[in-house]
Amino acid sequence: MNTLLFALVTLTLIKATPIVYAALGGVISERSGVINIGLEGMMAAGAFGAVIASYYTHEPMLGLAAGIGCGAAIGFVLAVAATRFKVDQIVAGMGINLICAGGAAYGLVLLFNQPGASQEVASLGNVGQWTLVGVAFLCTAALHTVLYRTAWGLRVRATGENPFAVKSAGLDPLRFRMLAVTLSGAFAGLGGAFLSIAELNLYSDGMTAGRGFIALAAVIFGRWTPFGALGAALVFGLFEALQDVLQGRFSWLPPDALSALPYIAALVALAGITGRVRAPASDGVPY
Amino acid sequence: MKRARSLLSGPAGAILLVVALMSVAMMLAGTSPIDGFAALILGSLGGRSQIGETLVATSALLFPSLGVALAFRAGLFNIGAEGQLLVGGMLAGAAGAVMTLPPFPAITIMLLLGAVGGGFWGAIAGWMKARLHANEVISTLMLNFVAQYITLYLVNGPLKSPNAQGAETAWLPTNYWLPTLIPHTRLSIGILIAIAIALGLQFLFRRTVPGYALRAAGEAPEAARRNGINLPRLTWMALAASGAIAGMGGATIVTGELHRFNTELSPGYGFIAIAVALVGDLDPIKVCFASFFFGILEAGGLAMQASAQVPKDAIHVIEGLIILVLAARRYVSQRSERVVEAAAAS
Repeated sequence: MNTLLFALVTLTLIKATPIVYAALGGVISERSGVINIGLEGMMAAGAFGAVIASYYTHEPMLGLAAGIGCGAAIGFVLAVAATRFKVDQIVAGMGINLICAGGAAYGLVLLFNQPGASQEVASLGNVGQWTLVGVAFLCTAALHTVLYRTAWGLRVRATGENPFAVKSAGLDPLRFRMLAVTLSGAFAGLGGAFLSIAELNLYSDGMTAGRGFIALAAVIFGRWTPFGALGAALVFGLFEALQDVLQGRFSWLPPDALSALPYIAALVALAGITGRVRAPASDGVPY
Repeated sequence: MKRARSLLSGPAGAILLVVALMSVAMMLAGTSPIDGFAALILGSLGGRSQIGETLVATSALLFPSLGVALAFRAGLFNIGAEGQLLVGGMLAGAAGAVMTLPPFPAITIMLLLGAVGGGFWGAIAGWMKARLHANEVISTLMLNFVAQYITLYLVNGPLKSPNAQGAETAWLPTNYWLPTLIPHTRLSIGILIAIAIALGLQFLFRRTVPGYALRAAGEAPEAARRNGINLPRLTWMALAASGAIAGMGGATIVTGELHRFNTELSPGYGFIAIAVALVGDLDPIKVCFASFFFGILEAGGLAMQASAQVPKDAIHVIEGLIILVLAARRYVSQRSERVVEAAAAS
């Protein structure tokens, strides 16, 4: 029994980590007033970028950096679209998801000459994986500190509530949004890189499997706070782990039906919590 | 300058963007744009069977695009058309495999079951939004995955045909197939149903009270609420109707082209539908033309991949870029969320 519990806990931590990173990205973006539906695509970009860099340099650390960079780059695209062009953020985010998933699939064919999945690359290994699990908790604490204990964090939160107030204080709300959304992409890219070169050692099409969207549910379930999002991501990670563990223990359970478990959990969480929580007042409203 | 800009952010800009980016994608793949576009055009419009395939894709895109456009008009994001297509197609395929009715009622029932399945799937998100204030963007996205895995489970388990190699329902008897529209192609009369729905939606929006209420809710929710429009009810009904149209699309793919159900029913039509609806300006008639344009890209993209070695996924990148560019226009009142909540609270 203890071994089962241990397996469940370790698996939960591993499955939750990419969701934690993406959810932290979601928190910072939404706190600045930009809904980031593109998290899913930014994760894919991070996962793909990490594999490409690791493939060509054989340095998984550079892969990790590239994953973060790719996520940030895509985040920057959404940031520019959401600030300078005042786009509809949901629509733009879905566009970004299509671009990233399609771009990675296109890149697989061009660079590896094989559709579906990349070749295996140097990964961060077990130590790297568990380090990143720990770093996720550190990042949560760091983001909490930045958001609630620094002037910049206060301004980001103020931008998400009332950008006009920020403007009348003589500051440019768009600058806070730009940086917040770019950072959001960097977090999502890190989450994606965790999937591709820490948990695994390759990129395959569809490997993000909606984790960016689950992260958005975690943001809401976590009431737009870093620690709340961490807790919610752990819950969703638990369901992902449960699905694996149950499958291993009870082989008669249909695997496909079990795969729906994390998404149903996110749906139920969303149904249970909303209405009783309040989003930042200007979340999703262009300034 | 302003006029040029508004033109470029519209459909004309979208087409220019496609041509420019396709050229880049082709050159990256080591193909000259001339060869690439020749392959794309010949592969989509170069003969009877090619045009047939283009129209098959047009039809498959038109249903979910009309559904997405309907929801958008009501100020709602239905990003769950993919799941609604699957659920609708699954119900149609399951019913068709066991029914013993004469062809006409059987096909009608399959199409209606498709609408019921997709409508139910959309209504879940609608109910969650109207009653529980759950953001429909995330709920419809989650429902896509739930639909994908549940239908996968069903075709691997209870609905799996004993004769089938892969995960799919039994083939429909040939008299349960939707009649072919153009001989010697795979195109069924499903596309006519889609066009009829488009005309019906146009009438709904322009000439009826519910259509007016729906547009009012999308364009000025606060004004709509103050004028007595029941926003929560409109919300779930709009999402249900949106899902029903997409679900019927799934059913027409099953009875019209695939003749069985499997989860490979849609290569992302429900997501591409967002691009189609935006390029079509959320106008049902324009959406028909936009679907044809994207049908060319889908069918031609396959041909381009085969004969010019340009990966078809480039098409999806371009579709995403079109969405990103068109997102600069306002479709949905940004405040609708809170107004619906206020309406439910009052």
